[in-house]
Amino acid sequence: MNIHSYEKIWLVVAILLIVGFISTVTYGATAVGIDMVDDEGGTVNASALDEDPRFSEPRVEQVGDNEYEAYVVAQQYIFKPDPITVPANSTVTFFVTSPDVIHGFEIVGTNANTMVIPGQVAKITVNFNEPGEYGVVCHEYCGSGHHTMEGSVVVQPEDEFSHGGDE
Amino acid sequence: MEEEQTVRELGHDEFDPNGTLALITVYFLILLVMWVFMYFVEFLGNELTVVG
Repeated sequence: MNIHSYEKIWLVVAILLIVGFISTVTYGATAVGIDMVDDEGGTVNASALDEDPRFSEPRVEQVGDNEYEAYVVAQQYIFKPDPITVPANSTVTFFVTSPDVIHGFEIVGTNANTMVIPGQVAKITVNFNEPGEYGVVCHEYCGSGHHTMEGSVVVQPEDEFSHGGDE
Repeated sequence: MEEEQTVRELGHDEFDPNGTLALITVYFLILLVMWVFMYFVEFLGNELTVVG
């Protein structure tokens, strides 16, 4: 087969590009430790969240040294708890679910972002280093009040952190 | 008017579309820069990142 030399260059370079894309994503997943949101969080009875041990009382719970779990309910048109208070230099796993319709949970301006589906628990783990405050928005249209649906994550300095998000 | 015209036969390998090559090279370089910028700067630099 007669292939022009320019075409050979193009074929090689295009294959390298694909290999490069795949290695970049592999690098992110292995060396950097980036994870995808999956169905690991399991399911929950969306119509009985108030009987669920995790979601009847949305809160932040300490589960280890610098490890916290935040149980968050996204519903029309609020996030509970609000604010979600966590300490700095901690690893926080968010479990987010919805009793009504599909919502979104995005810590604004960051990669911490998931869909919130009634009956399913979205589980994302995030490291908080610096104290500060983040907004949380719903990014799935969930009804007439969607544009007002917001919450916040407050990252307190470790020594000021008082337990939970319920002060 | 001269009737004689120069006719040049070009074989498959003698035809070198240098302009096209240059254009595609430029597109390719833009693609490379955008790839590095989007993944390593915009995505990886955009803390907080989902790690579990």
